[in-house]
Amino acid sequence: MIIFSGVSLIYPTSTKTILEDLSFTVSEGELVLVMGSTGSGKSSLLRLINGLVPHHTGGILAGDISVNGISTRAVKPGGLAHLVGIVGQNPLNGFVTDIVEEELAFGMETLNLAPDVMRKRVEEVLDLLSLAHLRGRSIATLSGGEQQRVAIGSALVMHPKILVLDEPTSALDPIAAEEVLSIIQRLVHDLGLTVIISEHKLERVIQFADRIIHIKGDGQTLIGTPQEILKSSDIAPPIVELARALNLADISLSVRDMRRSTERLRKELQEIELSTPSEPVPSSRDVVNVRKVSLSYGASPALREISLGIGSGEIVAIMGRNGAGKSSLLRAIAGILKVNQGAISVCGVNPLNLHGNERTRTIGFIPQEPSDLLYGQSVAAECQAADKDNKIAEGETFALLQRLVPGISGKTHPRDLSEGQRLALALSVVLSAKPKVLILDEPTRGLDYAAKNSLSSSLSEYAASGCTIMVATHDVELVAELATRTIFIADGDVVADGSTVDVLLSSPAFAPQVAKIMSPAPWLTVKDVVEAIFTTR
Amino acid sequence: MNRVLHPLAWWIWGGSIAIAIAKASSVPLALGAVGAVAIVVWRKSENAPWSNSFRWSLKLGVWIIAIRTLTGILIGVPSAGRRLFAIPEIPLPSWMPGIRIGGVVTAERLMSTAHDGIIIASIIALLGAAASLASPHRLLRSLPVMVYEFGVAVVIATSVLPQLVTSSARIREAQRLRGQDVRGLRGWRRLALPLLEDALSRSLDLAAAMDSRGYGFSRRRSKYRPNSWRISEYSLCIAAVITLVFPVVALPAALMALAVVPSQRTLPQELAVRA
Repeated sequence: MIIFSGVSLIYPTSTKTILEDLSFTVSEGELVLVMGSTGSGKSSLLRLINGLVPHHTGGILAGDISVNGISTRAVKPGGLAHLVGIVGQNPLNGFVTDIVEEELAFGMETLNLAPDVMRKRVEEVLDLLSLAHLRGRSIATLSGGEQQRVAIGSALVMHPKILVLDEPTSALDPIAAEEVLSIIQRLVHDLGLTVIISEHKLERVIQFADRIIHIKGDGQTLIGTPQEILKSSDIAPPIVELARALNLADISLSVRDMRRSTERLRKELQEIELSTPSEPVPSSRDVVNVRKVSLSYGASPALREISLGIGSGEIVAIMGRNGAGKSSLLRAIAGILKVNQGAISVCGVNPLNLHGNERTRTIGFIPQEPSDLLYGQSVAAECQAADKDNKIAEGETFALLQRLVPGISGKTHPRDLSEGQRLALALSVVLSAKPKVLILDEPTRGLDYAAKNSLSSSLSEYAASGCTIMVATHDVELVAELATRTIFIADGDVVADGSTVDVLLSSPAFAPQVAKIMSPAPWLTVKDVVEAIFTTR
Repeated sequence: MNRVLHPLAWWIWGGSIAIAIAKASSVPLALGAVGAVAIVVWRKSENAPWSNSFRWSLKLGVWIIAIRTLTGILIGVPSAGRRLFAIPEIPLPSWMPGIRIGGVVTAERLMSTAHDGIIIASIIALLGAAASLASPHRLLRSLPVMVYEFGVAVVIATSVLPQLVTSSARIREAQRLRGQDVRGLRGWRRLALPLLEDALSRSLDLAAAMDSRGYGFSRRRSKYRPNSWRISEYSLCIAAVITLVFPVVALPAALMALAVVPSQRTLPQELAVRA
């Protein structure tokens, strides 16, 4: 179906080779996962399949790519529209029309299909993706999962043979992600669709993949079955990390298989008295104080009478589905949103009254797009501006950045940094003011495991110095690794608030992989399991 | 479901009334037309991201009137008339005769600048109303394929505008959290760079998405739910053209749109809106 033969790719403005001498064949009905660290060229590989690279982006391409017998060199992306459906990283940016039904029809209209064919296909896809009740809705008002489904639907109406998905679940909560992925799996099984998917959160997709393409970043590429690749790759989901830590011979990819292969171990451990690791509860929780806060946008309430207290040294994860009110709560605490009712105080002050340096020393906020904070023309200029703004010694911010992620050149433009490096830059700019409360809104979007680990350790270190950290995230594995306390929000209400272990274990959808495997033992991460085994033996 | 009018009809309607306002150059007529259009927008606008355009264009209009009036007071040629008040005049070199900064402000001068401002603001409001009633994206989709390359460019250009508004709010917010007051020239630089970057990358995404969905590949394109011209569209356009011929009847013609378009809201809903 797809044949890459000797493909190399270079972008004209860059000296780095993105792909070098890549050859592989994908046959019909396969689900292939593309993995690699951020900036390694995953998106470029995906966009090569329908010719967006190099027709749309520029770049020098060597070798040949043939899709269903057609060379992408000879045909523009539009000529492959009936063959390859592609869904970009941020589907909202790719919508052309405003209404769901029109969006689904758009591609078929451009291909000049007859109106009755279009009507039939639109109905089929609406049913297939359970979008029928949303057909007349404005796309901008849909939730993230629904938007992702519309994007997939608008690719499927063209009856493509190949579906290409670039990080389809990175912005979705675990439940919405599962919905999307199970639909994709059904398409592969029922329609024999060939799917190429890239994803950082391997734990979500690994069990569906037939093969993996691992782009190593130095031009090298490995291709093989998931077992082969994951045995030795530097990128691995928790389930594989656990198998490696326990020295299991076979690497299992699903929770079910892993539970089978760890049955004996779990029995052994069960006989030993298990002590639940308990986090120390801070004596007072009044650094952040939220009293009966309500907030609504127009007629729809976002927060309903929420009360919270958070102490110093706590790392609090705010979890919940898309649109549950996480961002609203954090933005209200940061003093960007005015609440309708109730009172918020941060370090005893109403956050709305904080300005200038007083604000940066009290609250640090990393928005969903960390680049919003940046405006400098180079990393060094950005750091200098932060030094000046916060009235600290010159070079301090840059030194902080080097500690977070070593090896960033000061001359680089912030836009050319990888996702993880850019987050680190924004983080060091914010942390250079030493805020007492640090708030992060969805920080791990687009981060690979290595970047996530380094974020996690630098945040833990910062919290240990007596500061409070709040993180809104969909990433259960990050929460398991990092947070001491988890607050679960649904429909503007706090539905669970307690230690991370208690909250995560009580919800099957939000439990991390390790917890699902080792249940009922109260361990969330590979580290927990290894420590427990070490102490019992 | 009620039929949605052809976008081109709305744009012809809005455009003609705007031209009529410009030609008639009468404040009562302009205000009346904007008022009538406001009623149409309130009743008929789509539930889409673009439906706020009219409100935004009104806000922009207020700014234009204010700035026009202010510059009219400060700079201008001396004009005779009833003296209202005087502000200190800045002496200009003799080689700039006829122009002055400051000086006596007469009622006539104030009236004429405010008049110009209102006419300009009304025309902008009319275009905003057309965008509210039929989003430019929908208009573009009904363009012939002949001009598709141009079409891609226009989609990108128009989709940048509302995105610029939301992105600028987002970035301004983030900058304020960094302890920066985004004001003045320095603040503007700090806002403009991330803003442009954001808008550009979004637009490239859109262009790539349209490209890979075959936009402009086929010389012919079909229409899902073909949007035919029927009696409502024709009457709307005739009403608009009448406003061109007789600018005096712009107001009644604008109101005619209400009678022509089949009602989209049922009565109970309407009462609920009013309540």
